[in-house]
Amino acid sequence: MNLGSSISARTVWRRAPWGLLVVALLLSGVGILNLASASQAAHAPVWLSQLVWLGIAFGVALLLLPMDYERLYQLAWPFWILVVLLLLAVEFRGDVAMGAQRWLVLGPVRLQPSELAKLSVILVLARLFEEDGEKPGGYGLFDLWKPLLVVGIPAGLTLIQPDLGTAMLILAVAGTLILVAKVRTSALAVLGAGGVAAGVFGWLFVLREYQKRRVLAFLDPEADILGSGYHANQSMIAVGSGQWAGKGWGQGTQTQLSFLPEQHTDFVFSVFAEEWGFRGSVLLLAGFATICFLGLKIATQARDRHGAFLAVGAVALIFWHALVNIGMVTGLLPVVGVTLPFMSYGRSSGLTTVLAVGILANVGARRRTH
Amino acid sequence: MKLPGSGREDLGLRRRIMVFGVAVGLGLFVLLGRIWYLQIQKGEEFSAKSSGNFIKELRVPADRGMILDRRGVRLVDNRPSWDVYVTPAFCGDCEEVLGRLAAYLDLDAEERTRLDESVRKARGLQRFQPLLVRLDLSRDQLDVIEANRDSLPGVDVISAPHRDYLYGSLAAHMIGYLGEVSPEEMEKARERGLQFVLGDYVGKTGVERRFESYLRGRDGMQRVVTDARGQRIPQLEGLIPKGERFIPSVPGNNVVLSIDARLQEAVEEIFDVPAGAVVVMEVNTGYVLAIVSKPGFDPNRMTGRISREELRAISEDPLRPMLFRPLQSHYHPGSVFKVIASLAAFEHGFAGEVHCGGGYTLGRRRWRCHKESGHGWVTPEEALQVSCDTWYYAAADKIGIDALADMSRRFGLGATTGLDLGWEVPGIVPSVEYYEKNVRGGYMRGFALNSVIGQGDSNVTPLQMAVVYSAIANGGTIYRPQVVRRIERPEGYVVQEFLPEAKRTIDVPRAHLDRVRKGLEMVVEVPGGTAYAYRIPGRRTAGKTGTAQVVRIGTIRQKAEEMEFFTRDHAWFAAYGPVEEPEVAVVVLNEHGGSGSRNAAPYAMKILERYFQILEQDRAGPPSPEKAGPVTPPARTRPWSEGGALGG
Repeated sequence: MNLGSSISARTVWRRAPWGLLVVALLLSGVGILNLASASQAAHAPVWLSQLVWLGIAFGVALLLLPMDYERLYQLAWPFWILVVLLLLAVEFRGDVAMGAQRWLVLGPVRLQPSELAKLSVILVLARLFEEDGEKPGGYGLFDLWKPLLVVGIPAGLTLIQPDLGTAMLILAVAGTLILVAKVRTSALAVLGAGGVAAGVFGWLFVLREYQKRRVLAFLDPEADILGSGYHANQSMIAVGSGQWAGKGWGQGTQTQLSFLPEQHTDFVFSVFAEEWGFRGSVLLLAGFATICFLGLKIATQARDRHGAFLAVGAVALIFWHALVNIGMVTGLLPVVGVTLPFMSYGRSSGLTTVLAVGILANVGARRRTH
Repeated sequence: MKLPGSGREDLGLRRRIMVFGVAVGLGLFVLLGRIWYLQIQKGEEFSAKSSGNFIKELRVPADRGMILDRRGVRLVDNRPSWDVYVTPAFCGDCEEVLGRLAAYLDLDAEERTRLDESVRKARGLQRFQPLLVRLDLSRDQLDVIEANRDSLPGVDVISAPHRDYLYGSLAAHMIGYLGEVSPEEMEKARERGLQFVLGDYVGKTGVERRFESYLRGRDGMQRVVTDARGQRIPQLEGLIPKGERFIPSVPGNNVVLSIDARLQEAVEEIFDVPAGAVVVMEVNTGYVLAIVSKPGFDPNRMTGRISREELRAISEDPLRPMLFRPLQSHYHPGSVFKVIASLAAFEHGFAGEVHCGGGYTLGRRRWRCHKESGHGWVTPEEALQVSCDTWYYAAADKIGIDALADMSRRFGLGATTGLDLGWEVPGIVPSVEYYEKNVRGGYMRGFALNSVIGQGDSNVTPLQMAVVYSAIANGGTIYRPQVVRRIERPEGYVVQEFLPEAKRTIDVPRAHLDRVRKGLEMVVEVPGGTAYAYRIPGRRTAGKTGTAQVVRIGTIRQKAEEMEFFTRDHAWFAAYGPVEEPEVAVVVLNEHGGSGSRNAAPYAMKILERYFQILEQDRAGPPSPEKAGPVTPPARTRPWSEGGALGG
């Protein structure tokens, strides 16, 4: 089964999906430029550390290109177990930031295990679907116990941190992979019903008060402009007031005068949309679309099912992040704290994004050729 | 390991990946649509909201017009008062900010608690309402706050023009004072087209109130850029188009009074009694030159600077300092009423001599003259000169009370004078009808005998008496008393002029008036007159004393010093001069002062003397500013009031 090892390093470099990598680098560059504008208001040069961190991450990803993604097949379970342990550790020993236990401090390193959980779920599911092969007629309800367990444990642990956004992201990415692996219609119906039940249960017993407020604020943002709806409302004002041409880099009043919350992380898109307008927003969306479509093309050309599902998982990760993040800052979705790949400041989120790109490049470099 | 692309299963996987691709495309397309909706469709709306976020509109209050005396001397103007406000929505850790502020401003614990409470209680949009911390900072306090701006988020120092009553309590009742506008006043003002904001100051009494619409200017507006915490960002002022940054305020008009500040000051100094009223009026115009009500108050304190305790002390003061006595309080006129009685008697043919044996008997009662030994034979002129009550008892018994009432009304008694400075009492003119209506048993003949000497139910205001004596001096014309000569723009040109207003003439024969005037002159200028002792050398004046009893007639007369203050007689003196060509009338009412001759006449004559001095000064010296044309106030130095507001 070890077909990849036959390809030489030179071939890998030649066949690497350079278009995808260039677009990813461009988006990262735009992100850093955008952070530089947002930094002016905060008087903190976060763009510089983002530049350094993404630079290192991309460098490492490229250096690892000659290493076949098959290694991930073996790493999948150990990594998953490690992530679950880390999530448990966060639950009991984590740092509390903004009312949620998300961080784990290991000496000088601050880790956000929930970010890693997304990757581990992709790795394990890709391995499972490789092992199972294509099921004629698709997965039945009872065939799904293993994937559901693989997803449910880290997602549940993330939800109780509480980190609703990441938990939903894990479910969305895993759901995408499972659907692409094919599920029987009957199983789908049962799962759908179960999902609704879980949602109701979650609302009643799991979600914290502030999370419910956010969801309610999303449903009627005007009701409480100064409370929970404040962020969403200010964000929509930022985006909308960008109009066609934008206010210019460093000129966004919502950003520079601090009306916009969380400018470096969750609301970076609003900064960008305010300063670059509709023109810039369209280009940015085009960038994400390019990455997604090039990534899916790689998935269809993958050497094996393992690679195909890894690629789909990487695209799903980027896509769902972008969709939920932009949807949330434009008032389409509740504010749940999901970052925008390439744009948001943050080591864990930056690392996840670059790893996803690295996986795509790795799978792409070993695609079938005919 | 199964290879994709090598069978039907693989085609299925590729198809499902492409379905996901379509989903990706759809998802991104939805985002695109949403962004298009926000930025293009609703772009302008959000743009406006964004501007609304960072543009803060500060009111630039208009300078209120000044109040000047007849010669242009500034009595009331404005100076900047630096007031500190805190806005709960912007101060972050409000408790800490207030703590710092309290230290800078030496706020006492009580004030501190009150502020903490208000900040805590502010909810919702209320949190954006600035709360007043302290009015009228000193220069030092202002410097400290400015130096520590950065550690005081949500704290604003706003310069508001503060009303400055330059002469303190001078003419306080007439000028009035300002107070915070009440909701009812706002409602009324809206009907008159004036815009007020809660917390605005508005004239509460006197000229300040009556001429509010002239004095009040139009507020301007300053637009500044602030960040989400409400901190002003001057570097970004460019975000607001230049023409929209500042709308200047339009200052209010100046009110030029008929008051002469020199005379007003002199009167207030001369008339040093616990309670009473003085009116000095031009007899040929009705313009008031000085109008005094004692005790007084300081409008500077009343205008938003008074504590609850001080206010309570004022409202509980038995002398009622806020009462504008010349028009808001009426008194028995006593013998100053006798000029009207004489004219009524003459009109009904009673103009002969009467023998005074110390009183007059009607039925079983005897009405006493103030001179118990009697005056002997008394002519009508002598009756005024020595204030012989007996002559008037005889006259009243003959002509009846309605003749007195008729003449009283022709002089304007029983009705307000129309000075139009807030409420005014009309006084009481008793008549047969009045007694039938108000007294059990109805009218009795003796009532006329009480009325004729200004007792009984007769009541007049000092201002009414000034109008009466002016009319006698000017030949019978009743003028509406006025305190304002004109309204001027700040630059000086006249907006409105208030000309003398003759209401009517009393319509009595010249000969009758002359006899009364002769009698009044004898009071002052002929030995035996009740004010002869206080005549002014070199000036011939005329007047009449009055001693109005407060307690029931018939009580044994006591010396004033032996009586309780509030049972003592009111002392009146009404005068005019010069006799040859009368210019000015003076009415003095010394409340519970005692005798008109001893306790009112001296003040009135000193006031007249001062009037003549001022007149001579003006004639001898350079032309008074009034004759040189409208007064333009000198340019004021306002070192730190430009811009009107200081952001925060």
